[in-house]
Amino acid sequence: MVKRSDFKQVDPYTYEIPADFRPDMRVPARFYADGQLLEGALGDKSLEQLVNTATLPGVLKYALAMPDIHQGYGFPIGGVIATELPDGIISPGGVGYDINCGVRLLGTHLDIEDIESALDDLAGALFANCPSGVGRSGHLRLSAAEIDDVAENGARWALKNGYATAADLERTEENGCVAGADATKVSKRAKDRGRPQLGTLGAGNHFIEVDVVDEVFDAQAADRMGLSPGRVVAQIHCGSRGFGHQVCTDYVKLFQKVVHHYGIKLADRELVCAPLSSPEGQDYLAAMRAAANYAFCNRQIIAHLIRDTFAEVLSGRVDNPYVYQIYDIAHNMAKVEEHEVDGRKVQVCVHRKGATRAFGPGSPVLPPVYRDIGQPVLVPGSMGTASWVLVGTEGSMQRTFGSTCHGAGRTMSRRKAKRTVRGTELREALAEQGVHVRAGSMPGLAEEAPIAYKDVDRVIEVVHGAGIARKVARIVPVAVIKG
Amino acid sequence: MEQRVDMNKLRSSPAGHSPPPYEIVEHTADWAVRVRGENFTVLLHNAAVAMNMLLVGPETVTGREEVRRLSLSAYDRESMLVEWLGELAYLAETEGLIFSEYHFDEVTPEQVRVTITGGPAPVLHKHIKAVTYHNLEVLETENGLETTIVFDV
Repeated sequence: MVKRSDFKQVDPYTYEIPADFRPDMRVPARFYADGQLLEGALGDKSLEQLVNTATLPGVLKYALAMPDIHQGYGFPIGGVIATELPDGIISPGGVGYDINCGVRLLGTHLDIEDIESALDDLAGALFANCPSGVGRSGHLRLSAAEIDDVAENGARWALKNGYATAADLERTEENGCVAGADATKVSKRAKDRGRPQLGTLGAGNHFIEVDVVDEVFDAQAADRMGLSPGRVVAQIHCGSRGFGHQVCTDYVKLFQKVVHHYGIKLADRELVCAPLSSPEGQDYLAAMRAAANYAFCNRQIIAHLIRDTFAEVLSGRVDNPYVYQIYDIAHNMAKVEEHEVDGRKVQVCVHRKGATRAFGPGSPVLPPVYRDIGQPVLVPGSMGTASWVLVGTEGSMQRTFGSTCHGAGRTMSRRKAKRTVRGTELREALAEQGVHVRAGSMPGLAEEAPIAYKDVDRVIEVVHGAGIARKVARIVPVAVIKG
Repeated sequence: MEQRVDMNKLRSSPAGHSPPPYEIVEHTADWAVRVRGENFTVLLHNAAVAMNMLLVGPETVTGREEVRRLSLSAYDRESMLVEWLGELAYLAETEGLIFSEYHFDEVTPEQVRVTITGGPAPVLHKHIKAVTYHNLEVLETENGLETTIVFDV
């Protein structure tokens, strides 16, 4: 059990558990937080889970936790580790089941006054046109060859088939396609689960939102993204659906057997792993990348549906209903990257489980339009509260392997949230705040009530204060679509 | 032909002395259930009933027109639990089917052969992305076996 007294405070926003806290730790664990968030995190098992990640072979410098940390399975949500190549591990459970769950931010040329009278129509049309909810299939019917194409080419498949523009792909992490994906490393069951689900949101905490820019903090970066007070934007939060869930399930099972072969002792069976250089590690990496590509394509198809829906509802009511891409980021992924560690350049595998890549200015992997301001970081808040647009910094490169937070972070179990809040009452309360809600399930809506989450503004103060991301703009919802 | 499954009845033990066959455990982000059984076969049965509770709620009418035979392989009791529940969650996701009767022909930690009977669920309340190994351990207790299973939802 981790206690408050086990932490030493390194600076105003950094707390550390030394490596001698537990004999199996290989590195210290660092938690970016303020005093209140630290106290809150002691209330569940997330910090034990953080310590467990500090035991994994090849882990470098620190096991890291972002201020939105909460209890997950295996890794905490909000956890980051980097393992050194070639023999550091890769862990399917560390990436999680929803591989490349992520967020896309879409911009418009509209101010809120332009669409206020159309908002309810827009929410209804988005709910009707963008498939969401448990068991809901998409509009596409992919052949066996097409699902392989999606797995290996990601959003390029959408471009080839008329569901994307070149600018969409340019403004997507990895340009919407992670190199090295191999569809032959993905099971038939994963492909069968994925085939009917491309272009669907799913359920749980996934959503589409229409938001309005509330406040701008960095005028240059905001201007580059087309963000100004009153401007309408849209967010998509979803991942790789059954395709990714099955890839993880398959490899967590396989690794249960091989982990012993490599002599790795685990603090939790969900942390099963293998050296990245091993055949099993390489196979998982190729399959995970295929699932990541599925997710990039999935969000691209949904973006296309949103673009069409804005045109359908707003044509004739506004001058220009076009929806453009601002950026798309992953927040569940393992990526091979080069980072500087103790003065030397090292190839590492960065596991971000509920954490966002946040590369600073100058990174060659960023699209030219954002290269001098840093990578856009998209941090959705809880339903009905603010979300944030940030940019990566030199600080995130130096301190967190180019990573920062991914959301508000839960504090209350889904069960307790449902006992505390009724979905219908929540919908009415949000309507009184001017938020138009469409949801397939009222109990599901209740599980995602804002009361179940941390204060996202506090989380952002920590990452901004710690220098591992910088505030650009705060956005607030006007329409929410949930499965 | 339909069968009404009252899963609330299954939650409490008849005599009121031994612990219930399953109970929901608080988990911040996902869903967890603690499951008990006098032996591994009963544990598998009760785990499936507990997962159905999450998927379709406490009182659901399910059909009996679907009969499937499953043959599952695993490495140990924990991985067999994941395999078993994962198979049922897969059938719920892909075909909208809920199975409430289980006839086990063979049960070992490495091999299970089972005939399951069920039908379409009117409404699926929850989507289970996966059954996890998080701290998964089948423990021996004075009443048999006990384990806690975390579902990614």
